[in-house]
Amino acid sequence: MSELIGIVSSGKAGNTFSIKQCIKYAGGECIDVTDAKTLDSVDKIVLPGVGAFHDAMEQLESLGLVAPLQQQIKQKPTLGICLGMQIMARVGFEHGKTAGLGIFDAEVKPMICEGKVPHMGFNKLKIVGDQKILKGVENETFYFMHSFELVNYTDIMSLSIHQEHQFVSSIAQNDVFGVQFHPEKSRDAGVQVFKNFINY
Amino acid sequence: MTLRIIAKLDVKPPYVVKPVHFEGLRKVGKPADLARKYFEQGADEIIYIDIVSSLYQREILIPHIEETAGKILVPLGVGGGVKSLADFSNLFHSGADKVLINTEVVQNNPQLIDEASHTFGAQSVVLSVEAKKLPTGTWECYTDCGRIRSNKNVLDWVVEAQERGAGEIVLQSVDCDGRRRGFDLELIEKVVNLVEIPVIAASGAGSLEDILRVASIPNLGGVAIASLLHYDEYSVEDIKTFLRENGIEV
Repeated sequence: MSELIGIVSSGKAGNTFSIKQCIKYAGGECIDVTDAKTLDSVDKIVLPGVGAFHDAMEQLESLGLVAPLQQQIKQKPTLGICLGMQIMARVGFEHGKTAGLGIFDAEVKPMICEGKVPHMGFNKLKIVGDQKILKGVENETFYFMHSFELVNYTDIMSLSIHQEHQFVSSIAQNDVFGVQFHPEKSRDAGVQVFKNFINY
Repeated sequence: MTLRIIAKLDVKPPYVVKPVHFEGLRKVGKPADLARKYFEQGADEIIYIDIVSSLYQREILIPHIEETAGKILVPLGVGGGVKSLADFSNLFHSGADKVLINTEVVQNNPQLIDEASHTFGAQSVVLSVEAKKLPTGTWECYTDCGRIRSNKNVLDWVVEAQERGAGEIVLQSVDCDGRRRGFDLELIEKVVNLVEIPVIAASGAGSLEDILRVASIPNLGGVAIASLLHYDEYSVEDIKTFLRENGIEV
């Protein structure tokens, strides 16, 4: 039997529809995680992300998932997507200051640049160091949809540029990954990222 | 910045229809089939608007949206009759990545923009504008597919909506929609220069040259196309190839 991926209910928007679909395309199996017991039973974790930082943390708080996640993420391969990556930071500054899960030594700040924000649309990645789950997608483009960015100096997997502003587009630490873009909205390249994560 | 080419589906469930000048409807197919087709042609996003839900004051029909979302691997923006945070939530759970709002926030409750942006993040709150040019040279916001006036000035409204937390604007023109005689370039350029959030130009694509003209407006976020695709005159790929040949990054 293949490994089971748990999709954590984070953020009130809770758009897990397309992530499930994409995992299915990639040949994986997944279930919704809304409590600590289910989290305990899965092999890998996906933190999805449409929503706002404080609402997502509030949601995890109310489900009693903050401490279990902090513990489980250290033991299981984890992929945070967009806001799901951002809440793995130490702190976020979206609508005030909110503590994150603190997996990465990172801060989430408003994206400030000369171009239009939110950064919306397909964009390239410049892979830095080990490719990990980005193998085979070096030359592909991915869909971004965000107005906040993660600031980190030690765990960068890729950088991207929006209107001459360089930002962290993915991070990795052992087998914990975060991507600012939406692989589930990025055509075949995104399916490949999920395949890489499933096989990691 | 890469310009997005977006396929826009105006849906009168169960069919995608093409409103001609916001009046008279022609059926062109099922939303899920057309979304799949345009996705395969290379569309960067799909916009799905239930054009009757707001007018008939009924809730947007979810099954068609789920089916559409299930056929594509690019973002889906959905609008039509959205009145509350619960509506936003329902649409996100059905596969929408962004939600478009117009009638409710123009007529009754602009505060909904603030609340939605605060809860779901600005990037998923899209202001849909239906602009009509007045003889005075200004533009007025319309609702319900260009049927109802609001007395709101478009240029003031887009700035207000941005301040309230909208993350994107889809700019439609009551005058140009379905006529296929080109975009309202003057309005689009004004709005792009006025706001800091991305602007999607809609309404008016009648030829590749029309699209090139609007795509040449600096800092435009994307172009939404309906008729030109529905009648199979050009595919999304044809449009992108033409724009690339003319120096536009798509």
